Amino acid sequence: MLAGFRPLFAAGFLLAGAPAAFAHVTLETGEAAIGSSYKAVLRVPHGCEGKATTAIRVKMPEGFIAVKPMPKPGWKLETVRGKYAAPYQLWGETVTEGVLEVKWSGGDLPDEFYDEFVMRGQLSADLPAGEKLYFPVVQECGEAAERWIEIPQAGESEDSLEKPAPAITLRRKK
Amino acid sequence: MMSACESRSRETGGLRWLARLLAVALVICVAPAAAFAHAALIATDPADGAVLAQSPARFSLTFSEPVSPLVLNLVRPDGTVLPLTAFHLDDHTVVVDNPAPLARGTHVLSWRVVSADGHPVAGSILFSLGAPSAAPAATESVDWNLRAAIWLARVALYAGLFLGIGGAFALSFLAGGGRDGKRFVATALLAGLAAAPLSLGLQGLDALGAPLTHILTPAIWRAALETTFRFTIWIALAALLLGLLALMLPRAGKVLSLAALLGTGLALAASGHAGAADPQWLMRSMVFLHGIGIAFWCGALAPLGLALKRRAPGATAFLRRFSFSILPVVAILVIAGVVLAIVQVGTPSALLTTAYGNLLSAKLVLLAGLFSLAALNRWKLTAPAEASHAGSSRNLVRSIGVEIFLVLAVFGVAAGWRFTPPPRALALAAAQPAAIHIHTAKAMADLSLAPGHTGPVTASIMLMTGDFGPLDAKAVTLVLSKPDSGIEAIRREAHKAGDGTWRVDGLVVPLAGRWMVRLDILVSDFDMVTLKDAIAIRP
Repeated sequence: MLAGFRPLFAAGFLLAGAPAAFAHVTLETGEAAIGSSYKAVLRVPHGCEGKATTAIRVKMPEGFIAVKPMPKPGWKLETVRGKYAAPYQLWGETVTEGVLEVKWSGGDLPDEFYDEFVMRGQLSADLPAGEKLYFPVVQECGEAAERWIEIPQAGESEDSLEKPAPAITLRRKK
Repeated sequence: MMSACESRSRETGGLRWLARLLAVALVICVAPAAAFAHAALIATDPADGAVLAQSPARFSLTFSEPVSPLVLNLVRPDGTVLPLTAFHLDDHTVVVDNPAPLARGTHVLSWRVVSADGHPVAGSILFSLGAPSAAPAATESVDWNLRAAIWLARVALYAGLFLGIGGAFALSFLAGGGRDGKRFVATALLAGLAAAPLSLGLQGLDALGAPLTHILTPAIWRAALETTFRFTIWIALAALLLGLLALMLPRAGKVLSLAALLGTGLALAASGHAGAADPQWLMRSMVFLHGIGIAFWCGALAPLGLALKRRAPGATAFLRRFSFSILPVVAILVIAGVVLAIVQVGTPSALLTTAYGNLLSAKLVLLAGLFSLAALNRWKLTAPAEASHAGSSRNLVRSIGVEIFLVLAVFGVAAGWRFTPPPRALALAAAQPAAIHIHTAKAMADLSLAPGHTGPVTASIMLMTGDFGPLDAKAVTLVLSKPDSGIEAIRREAHKAGDGTWRVDGLVVPLAGRWMVRLDILVSDFDMVTLKDAIAIRP
C-alpha cells in the first residue's frame, strides 16, 4: 500500500531538503563504508554573500587518511602535512602522518557559477560505523569568508545549524 | 574568671559606652571608602520567570552589595507560605537551602534583606516547575499603621534633635542668660528621647515585615540592632541627654550643648540614604553640616520668639546675636542641602517623576516660604525690633511662630524620605547589568549586558577555556533571539576591547523577558565553540 507512494515521499523529501542542500557547501556522496576509499566531492553552490570564491580550505577529519587532492586548472593547490592523532593501519603498514589540510587558492569562482573540489582518501577501518564524519570547510572570498565548520552537539539537529560542516555517514563495509 | 570579667565590665560600663560612642564617631568620620550603595538584586538562581525541570536543591540571590537576609519565604502554587530559614552568605550572594521538593506549578520566592545603608530592600522572583501555573498571590501589602508610626517617631526625633538640641545650644550661646523657651526645649528633648528607641523598634518591625503588635518581640529588636540605623539612635540618644544636661547645668551649658549639636550632625550622618551615597566622605560631611545648620537655626526660633514676646531684658541682645550669626549658618545649610539634593536626585526630571523627588519639591516649596519669612524677619523686622519698637516686635514674634510651624512641616516632609529610595539608588538599580555565566567542557563565558534593561545596551564577554585557562579566540559572534515573542536572531560580531574582553556596542534589546543567548567562538580556523543560555532582561 505504502510502497506505491514511495516516489511521492522521495519527491517531497527532495523538495523539502533541496533548498538547504543547494545553499550549503556539501559533499556529493553522503555515505561511505569504513575501511574503503572515499572520493570526496565538495560542492560549492555560491560565493560569500554575493562575492566570488577565491579559496577553499578543508580540514581532514581524523581517520580520513592517505588523502590526495585533485588539482584544478586556474587554482593553486597546497596541502598541510602533519602527524595524525593516532597511527592507522593501511595495507599492512602503520601510517602516522599525512595530509591534514587541503587548500585550493588563487581562483575566481563567481557567485552565479557552481564548481566542485575533489580529493580522494582512505576511511580508516577504526572509524565508528553509523556515526557522522565532518569535513570543516572555510570558503574564502577575498577578505570575506564563510565558515562551514559547525558540528552539532549531542542532542542537536544538524538542520538547526546555520553553517554546518559537510558530513558523511559512515557505514560498515559490506 | 568569668564573673571577674563580668563585674569589671559592669564597672566600666559607662566608660565602655563612651568608648563605643567615640568608636562609632570615628568610624563615621573615617567613613569607609567602600561603595555602600542601596543594594540592588543583580542575579538569581533560578532566574525570574524560569521554568525548571526538577525541584532545585537551593536558591541563590546575588546583590550588588553585601546584604543580610531578614525574611525569606517561598509561596507555593496553592498559596501556602513556606518560611526559608536555612541560608548562608557567600560574598554578595545569599544561598538558601530548599527544605522540601517542590510541586509542579509557579512558585514565588519572596525576599527581604537589609542593605549596608540600613534600609530593608524586598522583592520576589517567580519560577515554575514543569510548567507555569497562575502565579500565587504573594503581594507585599503596605502596613499603613506601621508607616504612620515610623513617620511620627521620625518627626518627633527630628523635633528633639533640631528644636531640642538646637534650642539648648541657642539658650547656652545666644540667649545671654535668658531662660525663655526652656520648657519648650526640654519638651522637644524629651520627645526625642522617647522617639529614639521607639524609632529603632519600628525599624526592626519594618525590617522583618512584622505588624505593630510585635514591637516587644526580642527578634524585632535584634533585627533593628543589625541595621546601621542603630548608630543614629545611639548617637541621637547621647546627644539628647547632653542637651538635657546642658539645660540643667547652665554653667557647663556651652560645652554640653556644643557636644550635643555635633552629636546631632553625627547621628544624621550615621545612616540613611544620603550617607550611603558616593563619595561617602563628602555626602556624610554634607549631612553633618546640614544637620548642624538646621539645629542652629530652628532651635533658636522658639527661645527667641518667646523672649521677644515676653519682652525679656536680654531679648534684643539675643536677637542681635542670632541675626549676626544666622547668615553664614544658613549659607552652609543651603550649600550642603544643594549638594545632597544634586547627588540624590541626579536629573531635574526626577523631581517630578519619583516619589523622592516629589517630597523634595514639596520641601523646596515649604523652604521658599520659610526663607521668605526669614528674610523678612532679618531685613525688615529685626532692626526696628532691636530698637525696641513694640509693633515690629509683635510682628516678629508672629512671624517666628509661622516659621516654627513651617519648620515642623519640613520635618514632616523630610521624615517621608524614610519610605522612598532616592532617584540615585533607583538609577543605580536600573543600570545594573544583566549577567550570565555559561560553562561547558570546551569553553566558558561571562556575558553581561549593561544596562540590563530594554533599550541600547553594551555587551561585554569574558572568555576562558573549560578549565579556567586563557582562551584566545579569533572571532566572537553574539546572537540574541526571543523565540517566544517571534524575534529571530539578532547577530553581532564582537570586537576586542583591549582589556581581554570582547565587546558589542550599539546593541538594542527591544523587549523585556527571557532572551536566548548564543556565543559563537571561533577558536581556530576550523574549530568553533558554541555556548548557549538564556538571560533575563528587565523592562
